Amino acid sequence: MELFMPEAGLVFWMFVVFVVLFAILAKFAWPVIIKMVDERADLIDKGVEYAEAAKASLENSENQARAILAEANQRQLEILQEAAQMKAQIIEEAKKAAAEEAKKLTDAAAISIEQSRKEAELQFRQEVSQFALTIAENIIRKELAGDTAQAEIVEQLLNELEHKN
Amino acid sequence: MKKHSILIISITLIVLAAATSIALFDHTHHDENARFNAKETIFDHLVDHYSWEVPFSHSHHIPLPIIVQDYEGGWHCFMSSRLSHGEMHEGFRIGTEEDGFDGKVVGTKPNGEVYRPLDISITKNVAALLITVIVVCLCLFPLVRWYKNNGTKSPRGIVGAIEMLTCMIYDDVIKSILGPVKGARFAPYLLTAFYFIFISNLMGLMVIFPAGANLTGNLAITMVLAICTFLAVNIFGTKEYWKEIFWPDVPMFLKCPLPIMPFIEIFGVFTKPIALMVRLFANMMGGHMIVLVLLSLIFIFKEMGGVAVAGGTTVLSVGFSLFMYIIDTLVSYIQAYVFTMLSTIFISLAQVEHHHE
Repeated sequence: MELFMPEAGLVFWMFVVFVVLFAILAKFAWPVIIKMVDERADLIDKGVEYAEAAKASLENSENQARAILAEANQRQLEILQEAAQMKAQIIEEAKKAAAEEAKKLTDAAAISIEQSRKEAELQFRQEVSQFALTIAENIIRKELAGDTAQAEIVEQLLNELEHKN
Repeated sequence: MKKHSILIISITLIVLAAATSIALFDHTHHDENARFNAKETIFDHLVDHYSWEVPFSHSHHIPLPIIVQDYEGGWHCFMSSRLSHGEMHEGFRIGTEEDGFDGKVVGTKPNGEVYRPLDISITKNVAALLITVIVVCLCLFPLVRWYKNNGTKSPRGIVGAIEMLTCMIYDDVIKSILGPVKGARFAPYLLTAFYFIFISNLMGLMVIFPAGANLTGNLAITMVLAICTFLAVNIFGTKEYWKEIFWPDVPMFLKCPLPIMPFIEIFGVFTKPIALMVRLFANMMGGHMIVLVLLSLIFIFKEMGGVAVAGGTTVLSVGFSLFMYIIDTLVSYIQAYVFTMLSTIFISLAQVEHHHE
């Protein structure tokens, strides 16, 4: 069966041709191709790695930005609060100061009123006593014309004193 | 629209294939009296020849050089056209069945004894071999040139397809089995074998010159490929590999008085390349044979029932053989892949390192 008998001539040529093909390709083709294929694989790996790193760093910076923003918001809130507090405090202080001032003024006014009242009272008393004295003098001068009347008055005065005590 | 064009293309292909098949078998009925011999025709298409048919013609052949050494040791070199139609040239002619060397160049000694000379003729298969080598180089060197000009930039078109194929074999088969260091070491042989087998498989499917030789369906070709793998396995085999062949880690009685295990292991060393050889040969030859048998049916039925039956069978046969062709195209790739993968596995099995705790 010819089909199943390897022909010596063909074996010979196949061997020669295949070895030559192998030599040519191994010398000129495969080193270049394999080197480039490996290099490309490395390049792709590196690219993927780089992209992942970039993505991570992007996420990181986004987070950072968000954190900064949050912090800024917090600060703003704090400042606003502080300002509000300060405002309230200032108003409070001003109110207090005003109240104090007013009190001082009223106190001073009260003192001066009291003083003038006392003075007026004193004056009034002096005047009243003056008047009383004058009246009394006049009355006494008039009354002391009779003895009985004198005695009556003395009696009356004495009774009054007794009642008072 | 697309569907229609596919249909039209398919029909055209079937008609063309039918025409081709009729042309291929044309010579079988020059002589109206001669009966169609399917077996002879099929084997005639599978075996080697000293000349190459001109496309679509059986009367014209492209002559190829015949190189033979006669019994006295003298070399003879002439074109095969000198031997056509049983002519004798320089004491050589094409043998017949009576000589026992059917279709081969035979010499006649002065005493009339017919002998087979040492024959290293450029036969159809050898010519196809050379063409295959050229095609392989034409496939790969554009890629090399691309890399030299463009660095690691990714190529487009056919060059890109070649690169993808190379990467597929190199990354998925060679590197994943042998690892990156040893992979790079054995890759030149394995990739060369892959491309050679793949291209010659595909060229074998194209029926007309300069393709169409049943190259990988020839035992001589697959034998040399298997021997190359055998050499790659055993020359670069590690000490541990040889130790496991001659003194494997099995109970003593299996290897001491009677070397049962070493015998089996040594047997295995040879069966692996033989399996490679036979697998590739049988697959490719089988594919060709099925197509040829399907086409032969046309002529067998024609002899039985005339032209009308033959016409019906033609459509059916050509449809089936077209289907077989498509499968064979797939098989071409699969067999090249399998050969490469098994070679890689056999090499990696011979690269075992000593690993005892």
